[in-house]
Amino acid sequence: MAVGPASIARPAPVAGRPATMRGLIEREGVFSWLMLAPGVLFLLAFVAYPFFYGIFLSLEDRRVASEGVFVGLANFRTLANDAVFWQVVRNTFMYVCVTTILKLAGGLAMALVINQQFRGRNLARAFLLLPFIVPTALSTVAWMWILDPTFSVVNWLLVHGGIISSGYSWLGNASLAMWSLIVVNTWRGTPFYGITLLAGLQTISPDLYEAAAIDGASTTQRFLWVTLPVIKPVLIIVTMFSVIFTFGDFQLIYALTHGGPANATHVFSTLAFDIGMSAGQLGMGAAVALSILPALAALIVVLTIYLRRE
Amino acid sequence: MTTRRDFLKVTGGAVAGALVPRGASAAPKAMSVVRESSFIKPFDDYFSKTLLPEYEKLTGIKMSYEATSVGGMLTRLTTIAETKSGPEIAMTGLNQALLFDNSLVDVTDVANGIGKQLGGWHENVLEVVVSKGKWKALPWGNIGQLEVYRTDWFKEVGVTKFPETWEDLLAAGRLLKKKGHPFGFELGHGFGDNHGWLYPLFWSYGGREVDRDGKTVVIDSAETAKALDFCRKFYQETMFEDVLGWTDVNNNKAFFGEQISCTNNASSILVVGKRDFPEIAKVTDHALNPAGPKGRFHVMNAVSHALLTHAPDQAAAKAFLKWLYDDKQLSRWLTSADAYYAPFLHGYDDHPMWKPEPRYLPYKESLKTTRPHTWPGPQGPAASESVAKYVLVDMFAKACRGDATKDVIATAAAQLKQIYKAK
Repeated sequence: MAVGPASIARPAPVAGRPATMRGLIEREGVFSWLMLAPGVLFLLAFVAYPFFYGIFLSLEDRRVASEGVFVGLANFRTLANDAVFWQVVRNTFMYVCVTTILKLAGGLAMALVINQQFRGRNLARAFLLLPFIVPTALSTVAWMWILDPTFSVVNWLLVHGGIISSGYSWLGNASLAMWSLIVVNTWRGTPFYGITLLAGLQTISPDLYEAAAIDGASTTQRFLWVTLPVIKPVLIIVTMFSVIFTFGDFQLIYALTHGGPANATHVFSTLAFDIGMSAGQLGMGAAVALSILPALAALIVVLTIYLRRE
Repeated sequence: MTTRRDFLKVTGGAVAGALVPRGASAAPKAMSVVRESSFIKPFDDYFSKTLLPEYEKLTGIKMSYEATSVGGMLTRLTTIAETKSGPEIAMTGLNQALLFDNSLVDVTDVANGIGKQLGGWHENVLEVVVSKGKWKALPWGNIGQLEVYRTDWFKEVGVTKFPETWEDLLAAGRLLKKKGHPFGFELGHGFGDNHGWLYPLFWSYGGREVDRDGKTVVIDSAETAKALDFCRKFYQETMFEDVLGWTDVNNNKAFFGEQISCTNNASSILVVGKRDFPEIAKVTDHALNPAGPKGRFHVMNAVSHALLTHAPDQAAAKAFLKWLYDDKQLSRWLTSADAYYAPFLHGYDDHPMWKPEPRYLPYKESLKTTRPHTWPGPQGPAASESVAKYVLVDMFAKACRGDATKDVIATAAAQLKQIYKAK
């Protein structure tokens, strides 16, 4: 039997019944569409329209508060010849790849730990979620202090622990600034992985572990051959979402470095904002934002195909 | 019964004299003004709690005020201009009046009237508010970016008067850094305190991004190289690495954290000091930017009011602006700002607002040598793009971190050629 919106509709009215409004609504096809309509309208208004308008803008030479002129792919050609744009591409891919790996590993570890039975487990779960719950702008202010060269608690610990003689410039040094942002993003994003993977772990039947143990499987073997295969679909979906969110990360970077020093932490979102909003070049700003689309689309297609095969 | 329309006509003629123009025959029920929050809260409060109620009482028009967060005005202005809705009077900063000129009403008549009444406008401000011969915004003042320094620490190394030249400042900085009081000048992606000293330094060595024609990129020059070489030395010998990543909050935090002895900032730093760090404020002073081989410069941030074309009653909005910029109102309002805004009107060159705190006088003095970002290139979309892409800031930051002078100039020149569509 097909399962879908139609299945929850009432039976179609009997032929010959007067065509009242109630009768019309009770028709399976009409009722299904009525139920779907709010969601579809929402998606059309807030996802499809901005998306297609963004594509339209990216093909125009369009400055703020002015009529646009269609220029085809000229904006993309200009970007292809812009050294800063390519630096932004490298920065974004490094930021997304490293944070995804770290969040995946950290989130999986977090899920495995909080899936165990121990005293204070619920409290631990609540605390581990905090980075994800606290508004990004607020937690970023805290990180500004943590990474401040003078007031940094990290520097204080390193200097007073005798590990270094003077504090590091966490946001002033080009390499350290990127790694600092990676740490902050990982800190904020790991609970998302943790809580989602925990949901996956809780679907695993204890019988599977029991059977594996009887067969003599070690803890590692049970993890590799029981846990991982079962949670793989969840793992793929959570990674897909996380990659999409991280590609579009803006608040954290904008508040901490604004893409500096010397573009070392500039990513697609910050560059698009600077060009589109600060410079008023809406067409070029849209082109920057859309440049990420092919990579994201390819990733989503590959992961979805893989998921279906599984 | 007297209607608001009648009242406006009467007050226009009898009470406010020439303040309310004859064209203001329609009296809207309400008008709204949007501005970026000022660092000087009494200035905003005086506007919303004193001036607007006064105007409401005078005309019966309900006046509302919207404040955006600091740095958020450009985004708000974009949404207003794009949607053609929202407040009809908006603040513009930098060269935004030219960036949004298609959405702004010609206010030349109002500007001429104000100029006539208040001794005339400073010529240099015209570059950022006049588009194709038409005034698109009415400046109320300049937020100057000057040197801020610790007088006690400078005295410790024998410097009793702020250095006149960049070379002398470097010499003082070397001594201060050795004493544990480095300088802290922003070299990151902030919005004000980076451009506040880098453009003046660049200009004072003779460097220019683009020529007056807006088509010839001239940054690849011996003057630019000299400015970069000096800046690298200045950074390495007087500062520390973190300034490369600073945004606008960091130098204030470092100054009040007693980490740095000198920076470039607006006068709000002393206002905050007097309020929250009185002991530091006592030993804080301001000075003009040092001079270089080709003169002394300051960067312009003219803040203005502009009238949006979607205003349902432009004549009424102009009438409000005329009233606001009348000496009776403007004088009181500027005084409430503790000299944070240096007016571009010669009639205010000796205004009482400058008397209570002589340490702010350099901000008035700096108006003479104030130039808009990307000067002498024309102001407009390309200039905004250069600033938004941090072309100049990043060129200096890369030089300071050790990149070769010729490489950073080549990168900046390539970016500017793309921005200005130059060959």
